[in-house]
Amino acid sequence: MKRTCTVCIALVALLSLVSLPLFSQGTADQAKASGPTTIELWYGAAITEAGPPPADWVGFQIIKDKLNIELKLTALPSNESDQDVKVQAAAAANNLPDLFMVRRDVLTRLVPQGLVAPVDDLYEKMPIRTAKHYDEVSRSHARFNGKTYGLADPGSITKNEGLLVRKDWLDKLGLAVPKTTDELLAVMRAFTFDDPDGNGKHDTYGYGAFQEINNYEAWPGRRLEPIFGAFGVDGTWNMTASNAGLNILKPEFFDAMSLLKQMADEGIIDPNWLAYKKDDFRAAWKQGRFGIMREQNAAFAATANYAPFDKNFPDGEWIIIDPPTGPKGHASIGPYTAGFRIYAISAKAVKEGKKDKIAELLEWMASDEGYYLLGWGVEGVNYTKDANGIPVAANLPNPDLAFSAPGGQTVTQLRNMVFYNGDIELYARYPKYITATSKKEMSALDVLRVMQTKKWTPAVGSDTLPIPNADLKRFYEQGLSEFITGKRSLTRENWNKWIDEFKRLGGQDWNDKGVAFAKENNLLN
Amino acid sequence: MEQKIKKPKGRFTSVAVRPTAADHSFNLVVDIFLMGLLVIIAVPLWSTITLSFRPNDYIGNNLQGMFLAPWQWSNAAYKALLGNAGFVLAFGNSVKILIGGVVTALLLTIPLAYVLSIHTLPGRRYLNLLIIIPYVFNVGMIPSYLLVTNLGLIDKLAAVFLPGAISTYNCLIMRSFFEGIPNELKESARIDGATEIQVLMLVILPLSKAIIMTIGLFYGVSFWNDFFHAMLYLNNNQLQPLPILLRNILMASGMNEYVEVNAFGDAPIAAIKAASVFMSAIPMVIAYPFIQKYFTKGTLLGSVKG
Repeated sequence: MKRTCTVCIALVALLSLVSLPLFSQGTADQAKASGPTTIELWYGAAITEAGPPPADWVGFQIIKDKLNIELKLTALPSNESDQDVKVQAAAAANNLPDLFMVRRDVLTRLVPQGLVAPVDDLYEKMPIRTAKHYDEVSRSHARFNGKTYGLADPGSITKNEGLLVRKDWLDKLGLAVPKTTDELLAVMRAFTFDDPDGNGKHDTYGYGAFQEINNYEAWPGRRLEPIFGAFGVDGTWNMTASNAGLNILKPEFFDAMSLLKQMADEGIIDPNWLAYKKDDFRAAWKQGRFGIMREQNAAFAATANYAPFDKNFPDGEWIIIDPPTGPKGHASIGPYTAGFRIYAISAKAVKEGKKDKIAELLEWMASDEGYYLLGWGVEGVNYTKDANGIPVAANLPNPDLAFSAPGGQTVTQLRNMVFYNGDIELYARYPKYITATSKKEMSALDVLRVMQTKKWTPAVGSDTLPIPNADLKRFYEQGLSEFITGKRSLTRENWNKWIDEFKRLGGQDWNDKGVAFAKENNLLN
Repeated sequence: MEQKIKKPKGRFTSVAVRPTAADHSFNLVVDIFLMGLLVIIAVPLWSTITLSFRPNDYIGNNLQGMFLAPWQWSNAAYKALLGNAGFVLAFGNSVKILIGGVVTALLLTIPLAYVLSIHTLPGRRYLNLLIIIPYVFNVGMIPSYLLVTNLGLIDKLAAVFLPGAISTYNCLIMRSFFEGIPNELKESARIDGATEIQVLMLVILPLSKAIIMTIGLFYGVSFWNDFFHAMLYLNNNQLQPLPILLRNILMASGMNEYVEVNAFGDAPIAAIKAASVFMSAIPMVIAYPFIQKYFTKGTLLGSVKG
């Protein structure tokens, strides 16, 4: 018995010695050194409802063959707060992927925890990408304590909205294009009360909007910025060095509110604007419900978006106008900021020696090969090039696989990692076309170019300024909407009282912190 | 002295007792309330259905002219959804999570509930306490995430259902039901030489069809609808279940930058959204009528013990 025990113990010890290297880190590292480097990438999908690139996507093999990288992809959830939860949970478990898209708010919390690595040294290692994607504004966007912790890639196109007016209605009523706020009010009244569509019904309004708010365009939000711009108080923040601070605290904000209140009281703004969602708003202008609006270029002029309006009103015509000038000469379509998509590298990835490989991958993505592959797919399968070298979805053996068709969309899910709003992208994105009913030539790109020539308020970086707490935000939004709906009387005295209360609840603190942050980060103009 | 027997009042009067005016009034109020409730439920449902059949060229997404019935029916949205590989894949993943989850949850909940229902179990009170503590004090997202990660469940469908495989609430309901089964039945089986497992399998379970169906349904609904765990634990997009896809569809802007087709072709995005909501609800809608007969019986029997 004793002998059997001794033999068993000896066998176990021998087996342990033999098997130890199999489970040790050292052996795994050696295996890694000879095989491809695995890079886990959490990306923001270009088309949320389309699936991820298929498992046999040609890009995986090309990246493996050329870069010796095994790319593991995860599409982040479409909703920003879901993205934040996923990233933060992984961060808490020190399980962040190697490369991941992250919102600046979250990045701000990851940096002090040492979970993300500085990327300043990567710019030199990626000359092609850096030249196209990263300027000084981009680098400072994710800079904390002198170091940049995220690669801020260009996001959505800036200044891509405009103030539009129904020219056919102006012509019918014998009105000129409004240039001032008074003229704008006169046109709104005419559009509301003078039956511009000639159907004999009181079913049209002057201005159409919906509440669309964000960090830098607080209530009532983007759609009404041209009204507030006429008073120099468009956007949440004034980003000028001489007058920096929350616009709501400026005396002109009351004047802008008074004009909006007048529009509401006279019934010349579509009364549903407080209830509309984006889709309702867009359905409404296509149904001819109002004649003045602020709209995005593609939402207005791209093929399928314009088609319903074209069908309903073949003789209808929208024109892009200058923002109305206010009593003191101010005018603006609204504030603009530089939108970025930040990609951060986890400290874990750097520790595992993957930083250079990540740079190699990103640089390859910016090369012609990566740019076209990720942006449009495989030439001849997902796109062809026209005479000007612009990718088009034409002359393909299987049109279902075109980059713009449902079958081809999955292979371009990473396109936001390579696009930088260059001319090729814009021409491909917004091709010229002839409308189905009125046979007009339309181009969302031409519309964009015109919109960008209008007067805008520079507010780069205002979207990174501190945000109010939920209670203060609610007080802000609810208070302003109550002034407009008449629940609170909009008098100078009431306004001042409400502003005092706003300051007391934390508004002053929010203002002071915002100004300090803007100064600290050189964001003021 | 002879006492007068009061007639019972209220909705649940026996057939032999003639309802009073007060009964009628009460019943009317209840009926009106229920009708109101029905309208609140039915109108959005009907609105979703009509929206899902919206034709391609229908302009606008409100219900004008299409409230009672679409003036023109179109199944483009359903065709697009069913023809989409992503939707089929997500549906399949959800079915796997549903089946795996319900089976696992019942396999774990039934024995635990049975053990807790045995009054002579040593330390029963402490065991109950141990189970109730996490019910009252949730551990939170990060510890759960760490646990799932350390168990190697990231990117496994089991990560969606395993952490919630024993719901304390469901377990307590089932325990109460088991406690309601006459002890004599168990005793007689034991006298006949049955082990505890045989008592559970041969005596308790055949008598507990109602509670098993009911709790199974509870689990099924929660696993079918679970978005959060799938979002957190499944990084491999090929494993994404229906709620994730559904959320992505609902978040879709409907404005592709190129030629204005969405990932489901040229069907209107509003119709796609409505159709996907409706289709994801179908399995549960189908399951309910079959299980409904057990439903009241299962939950009520458990709540009354002698």
